[in-house]
Amino acid sequence: MTTPAIEVRSPARSAAPRWTLGILLGTALLLLPFAVSSFWIRIATEVLLWAGLAQSWNIIGGYTGYLSFGHGAFFGLGAYITGIGMTVLGWSFPAGLVVSGVLAAALAAAIGYPTLRLRGAYFAIATWAFGEMLRQVATVLDITGGAFGMRLPALLNLPFFYYVTLGTSALVYVTTYLLLERSPFGYKLLAIREHEEAAEMVGVNTVAVKINAFALSAFFPGVLGGIYAYWLTYIHPDSVLGGIITDLMVVMVFLGGMGTFWGPLLGAFLVQLVSRSLWLVWGESTLYLVIIGAAICIVVLFMPGGIVGLLEGRRTPLLAPHAAWRWWRERMRW
Amino acid sequence: MELFLQTLIDGGLIGGLIIVVGVGFSLCFGVMHIVDFAVGEWVMLGAYAAYWLVRYLRQDPMVYLPLIFALFFAAGWLVYPLIYRAVSGRRHHPALMGLVFTFGLSTLIKGGALSAWGYHVRSVSTWLSGQSVTLGVTTFPALRLAGFVFGVLATVLFMVFLYGTRLGVSIRATAQDRETAALLGVDVRRVGALVYGTYAGLTGMTGVLIGALFSIHAAMGAKYVIFAFFVVVLAGMGYVPGVIVAGLLLGLIQSFVGVYISGRYTLLALFLLMYLSLLVAPRGILRRGL
Repeated sequence: MTTPAIEVRSPARSAAPRWTLGILLGTALLLLPFAVSSFWIRIATEVLLWAGLAQSWNIIGGYTGYLSFGHGAFFGLGAYITGIGMTVLGWSFPAGLVVSGVLAAALAAAIGYPTLRLRGAYFAIATWAFGEMLRQVATVLDITGGAFGMRLPALLNLPFFYYVTLGTSALVYVTTYLLLERSPFGYKLLAIREHEEAAEMVGVNTVAVKINAFALSAFFPGVLGGIYAYWLTYIHPDSVLGGIITDLMVVMVFLGGMGTFWGPLLGAFLVQLVSRSLWLVWGESTLYLVIIGAAICIVVLFMPGGIVGLLEGRRTPLLAPHAAWRWWRERMRW
Repeated sequence: MELFLQTLIDGGLIGGLIIVVGVGFSLCFGVMHIVDFAVGEWVMLGAYAAYWLVRYLRQDPMVYLPLIFALFFAAGWLVYPLIYRAVSGRRHHPALMGLVFTFGLSTLIKGGALSAWGYHVRSVSTWLSGQSVTLGVTTFPALRLAGFVFGVLATVLFMVFLYGTRLGVSIRATAQDRETAALLGVDVRRVGALVYGTYAGLTGMTGVLIGALFSIHAAMGAKYVIFAFFVVVLAGMGYVPGVIVAGLLLGLIQSFVGVYISGRYTLLALFLLMYLSLLVAPRGILRRGL
């Protein structure tokens, strides 16, 4: 059985600077489209989209400890539902988003009921198989356009997509803060992550709590998938259901810090920064896979708490060569 | 009837080759509780190793099988301490960290291969390519037959090693109960390195045959990750003999769905079966897994 790691929360600091910082950040985000070129609006929209996706994954992966390796499925489902709704069924965009989110959550609850009984690696493999299965379904169906994908009505309005993404992602963070950081529901999730049997013994209805968390973490990717589809106007199975979507969510959360509130935001920002810089320097390149892969390996090996964990726990700097060497030797053994 | 027999044989032959990958993969899970997402990349690297060796040294790729085993054993041995570090220590869910680590490793290797070699499709040919043995109404492509023979031989040798030698006993003991094995004097860490090295070596060798049978490209690994996961899930994680049944089943499903329904549905069928199998029988269809 796993030994629960001891959580040490940093002592409560004065809340005033945080609020000031939060208000400044919020104002900056709201005013951003007026200040920068369309290129940067596009980049900012991407960062916000991924920040929302990463936090959604964090709800089930970080707070609950169930690593879903098929979370991209809900994103792709949302993209396709919005796409089909708008082109075939003639829905409006907001209606498409709501239906996408609700259907993604409903699907998560339906598959969560049997799948969440599996623990650890089994759950990871089952969700992975499910995600890939959905991609295959999108590839063989006619209504999704098969491997050729589908086209949505075009809307060339970058600030509109920026604000919609900002609103949705902000909603993800507010929901996470209220439901997971400041309510019993969050403590139940942490209890399940640390010791599921014990949580059950003290009266947590683990089945219901896990399904709720899974549905919640699938709702937002569904909505964001819908936004993404309308924004790009052209989707195909690899672009919205590809493995890389799930991969990036996992990477961002791991890099930022599993089960921390600010971790996913930091992770999404950093990963997007690196991948976009690479893109600017080399153009379309596969080198970002190398960097992402190396980042995952380094985070797992040397900073399991992610950046947030590193910022909170570090006392001695690793700048002196002998200290760094000793640190390395302590961690590497055959 | 002829088509049926031919499909049966094709599927069985491919299944035999996949078994080798599955056995090592399953043992890795049993001994170290690692679900190795990098399995497909070992296959891909094996295929590329054969390609470059043939290109510069100009011999039949089959000649290099022992060399490739040695190379990949060494690579696995070198990677192992990293994996050991990922799954041990004070952290949430060590087993999941191993999974995430190998996932990162696989992304790293795949990205490196794509960056270095691009999307070009390459191939190697052996003296067996294009030849076949005809038996009644069915034909056995010689290379597939060789792959099957290799698969059976490698699996049997590995089983003999596992069940007949002292080292094999300590490996199985570690797989059964890590702590007790360590208390009884098994160097668990060394056993892990040995298992991971052997697994990487076997998988690399299989990669040579797969590369010779099909085409070689940097993104080919993903398919074999699916195959390895399928085999191990159906066999029951960590239950090595189950791999033989599941591997043959995989080959048969793949060829029958491909021939009688459509090639587009093979992966869908595999994922569906894998998912259902995990839900209905998480310990494998023989109910003997961990």
